[in-house]
Amino acid sequence: MAEERQYDLIFICRPDTPEPDIDKIVSTLEHAAAEKGARIEKTDKWGRKRMAYRVSRLREGFYVFMDLRSSHGEVVKELERRLKVSDAVIKYMTIRVDEELKRQEKLKKHRERRAARRPRKTVSAPSQGGEQAAQSF
Amino acid sequence: MADEHAPHAPQPEHHAPAAPSAPPAASGPAAPAHSGSPGGMGGPRPQGPRPGGPAKRGKRSFVRKKKVCRFCVDKVDYIDYKKSDVLASFIQERGKILPRRMTGTCARHQRWLTVAIKRAQNIALLPFAAEL
Repeated sequence: MAEERQYDLIFICRPDTPEPDIDKIVSTLEHAAAEKGARIEKTDKWGRKRMAYRVSRLREGFYVFMDLRSSHGEVVKELERRLKVSDAVIKYMTIRVDEELKRQEKLKKHRERRAARRPRKTVSAPSQGGEQAAQSF
Repeated sequence: MADEHAPHAPQPEHHAPAAPSAPPAASGPAAPAHSGSPGGMGGPRPQGPRPGGPAKRGKRSFVRKKKVCRFCVDKVDYIDYKKSDVLASFIQERGKILPRRMTGTCARHQRWLTVAIKRAQNIALLPFAAEL
């Protein structure tokens, strides 16, 4: 079993879509994900936002963000297909983020370790310098 | 021999036997190609690293502030494409990504930044090009 991957799934609905319809889309995506052995960790409705450029001749859109966890990529294909056929959805994007989050974790750990080590280093450094100066004389 | 030696007194100090040949002395000061630069002598040589120290009096002095990577200062390990307000400060008015030399971002963070900006563009958080 491959390890779990993490995806960010964002889709934009038409701004005039009633809230219940958006909830319906969210729940169908959750069901579809569950069928494929994946799960949606959290759903975050950003609400109506002004888009940076026009999409389908619309200036505003209703943003929905989802955190998707899956051990394989097949589920992404299925979810994107569903978003594509949905009339209310005007734009969507799925990106894999687990590798970058892993890198972030690693860098953070590295930084903490270095921070823990540094105090000792700074204490010992001046005394070494003093010794060297004394030897050179 | 002797009269030639006198004018080059400071130079042949280390190169005494080769001193008689005059040409090297002539080519010495003009070694870098002065291709029509007015007042080639005495002018400040742009060669080498020039710290933003005090410029010549009378001329405009540029006090160049040392730019540091904003992400390094904040110890950022992951540039989030969702924070479009942060990313927006790294693009030009027309939507172009600002180069490193303008923002002072370090190479590593610039690399992450471009990816984040391009993702944000794809989901309409940032413009590809400003609309008129």
